[in-house]
Amino acid sequence: MSEDDGQRPSISRRAAMATVSVAAMGGLAAAMWPRTPRSRRSIPPGRTVVDYWEKWTGAEGDAIQHVVDGFNESQNRIWVRRTAISEIDTKAMVAIGGGDPPDVCGVFSYNVAQYAQSAAAIPLSELGRIDTAIYAPAVRDLLCFRGKHIAAVSSLYSLALYYNRAMFREAGLNPDAPPRTISELDAAAEKLTIRDASGAIVRAGLLQNLPSWWPYSWPVMFGGNLYDPQSNAAEFASDATIKAYEWVQSYPRRMGVKETAVFGTAYDRSFHSPQDPFISGRVAMIVQGPWLANFANRYNPALDYAAAPLPVDEAIYNQNEPVGMLEADVLVIPRGAKQPEAAFQFVAYTQTQEVQEQLAREHTKSSPLARCSPAFFDGHANKYVRVHDAITKSPRVQILPQTAVWKSYAHLTEGAFDAAWKGANVREICIAVQQRAQAMMDRDALLRAKREAPTAS
Amino acid sequence: MPSFAPSGRRQLHREAKSILTGLAWISPWLLGFLVFLCAPILMSAYYSLTDYALIDKPVFVGLDNYRELASDSLFFVSLRNTLFYAVLSVIGSTALSVSLAILLEQRLRGAALVRSIIFVPTLVPVVANCVTWLWLLNPQYGLVSSILNAIGIHDVNLLGDRTLALPTFAIMGLWVIGSPLLVCSAALKEVPASLYEAADLDGMSPLQVLAPPMIMTRGGPENATLTYSMYVYKTAFEFGRMGYASALAWVQIILTAAIAVVVLVVARRLVYYRGA
Repeated sequence: MSEDDGQRPSISRRAAMATVSVAAMGGLAAAMWPRTPRSRRSIPPGRTVVDYWEKWTGAEGDAIQHVVDGFNESQNRIWVRRTAISEIDTKAMVAIGGGDPPDVCGVFSYNVAQYAQSAAAIPLSELGRIDTAIYAPAVRDLLCFRGKHIAAVSSLYSLALYYNRAMFREAGLNPDAPPRTISELDAAAEKLTIRDASGAIVRAGLLQNLPSWWPYSWPVMFGGNLYDPQSNAAEFASDATIKAYEWVQSYPRRMGVKETAVFGTAYDRSFHSPQDPFISGRVAMIVQGPWLANFANRYNPALDYAAAPLPVDEAIYNQNEPVGMLEADVLVIPRGAKQPEAAFQFVAYTQTQEVQEQLAREHTKSSPLARCSPAFFDGHANKYVRVHDAITKSPRVQILPQTAVWKSYAHLTEGAFDAAWKGANVREICIAVQQRAQAMMDRDALLRAKREAPTAS
Repeated sequence: MPSFAPSGRRQLHREAKSILTGLAWISPWLLGFLVFLCAPILMSAYYSLTDYALIDKPVFVGLDNYRELASDSLFFVSLRNTLFYAVLSVIGSTALSVSLAILLEQRLRGAALVRSIIFVPTLVPVVANCVTWLWLLNPQYGLVSSILNAIGIHDVNLLGDRTLALPTFAIMGLWVIGSPLLVCSAALKEVPASLYEAADLDGMSPLQVLAPPMIMTRGGPENATLTYSMYVYKTAFEFGRMGYASALAWVQIILTAAIAVVVLVVARRLVYYRGA
């Protein structure tokens, strides 16, 4: 009813305001009323809560939850609350920058340098003592930065050549003698490739764009490095690296750029599923991590496969010293963590041999520790875990460049890989990547010096 | 002066009271605007003049970030990709939505049903849309490839070929033509289009423009589908360069504002508004 009718409105303005105010105050009181949040209801009273962000879900998430449960049951002072977080390195960075990080964060080994340089992670040595001698030497390098122990390890992975034994037999190859050198690998790949009448690839022997996740990993098979930590120099244009990408380029050149790109794109999003190209028999050989065993066991338990160290250039072959690139999932205690001491207790618990081996077995990975218990390999779900173990402990194993600009550098290698695949001049591409990566490193070093310089008082 | 006129002081008092009451009522929005929009905009302007990695303290670098843009090939690639995508999708979606709207205004039997069917994809979550399209466009098993093969076009890699990937995304964007179609239909029926423009904005949210290349090709192959917004996001959160990302974002704002000004000036001269 309008006031134009000459009648008073049915509710006065004052009454309306009073009603709204009472409702608002009621809402505010309800919101502020002390209560136990749902996330804390299952926590036994009196425990210090440690918030732990981790990336894993599914079977891998269950495995780390077993570790968390084991810790929560092992004592009565601390309660670890795990939350699964996707894109964890990005979200951790935002949380740390915003001043509200979790107490423990499961990030990647390539984050260690950046976290250390920015003081975004509390060095573990400031909170207690974890003997770094327990780790394999390369693992120690992954976890430490300039002598400081920054991170603890949660799981470790190296790349190996997984191959289908049944297909080897079919093609007249010996399934017990996997390729050891690049020329043996190329010959096997050629024999294992099948095309249909139209020339389209039905089964690939090997394609380096499946998966395309490690465009920077190929130089290691030719003795190349990505980085020299002593001089903070990008190394992407060495003879070994150029040879590596020329070898990568030889595959699309031989099998057809268009055909190999079509084949690669068809399976690019099928990994770790029943349509995974290796698990479904579309590629006979693949360079993959130890987790492949987990997915093969689940989606195709009858798959007859084996794993071997990465084949290498003839000039650097050494049976006793396999090459490989080592990466790890790591645990850090971020700057700004509310319960750093309690968080350290949990992190220290995860570094015991028993817990490490339990987690590695459930993740079908090798142990990051220098010594494994005799029982570790018995009945391991990855039948070829010894291959990964040998790579981990090899003196020739490499780790990713410990530089804060690694992600940007890696992005450059993605573009370089794509360009090489399409037939661009490899030498020019490699030189361009090295120059751009070096410029980024120099800039980072300059700004870091500026940041660390004492301010004039 | 008439006897019932209030004194100047009383009128001033009433006006002030009225303004204060108005401000009190809009204060939640005002507070949100200041805290969640104004402050971040001002902070990003400052960060664009610094080297800042979120987990590090910012270091003032003056105009270095803006200077770096001139030698950053990815900046130009992402800008070119975005302009190309925008032109293709705007022309495509305008042409298609106007044509369909005219067709649906012909009082044909089943027009309402067709209109509903066209609108349905707009309601599908963007990730589900992308996964569906990934299967449709799979170069070996996808429906689209099978159709192309059947008509004699073989080995077409729509998402893996750098010349085809972006046009494919633009065509794929027509899948969510429902909202612009609604606006065109409204205009034809002389319903104020503003009533439908909100729906149009929802239908083409920034997420829907950014997400498909991010989910389906991650900006590849060879950065052929790297859009500007994706580059800003990657720079800030993947490469950890918030300062440089802020500079990129400010260039984006300036470019967008310049385009908006041109469109407004051109529209003022060339567009006839009925009833204006």
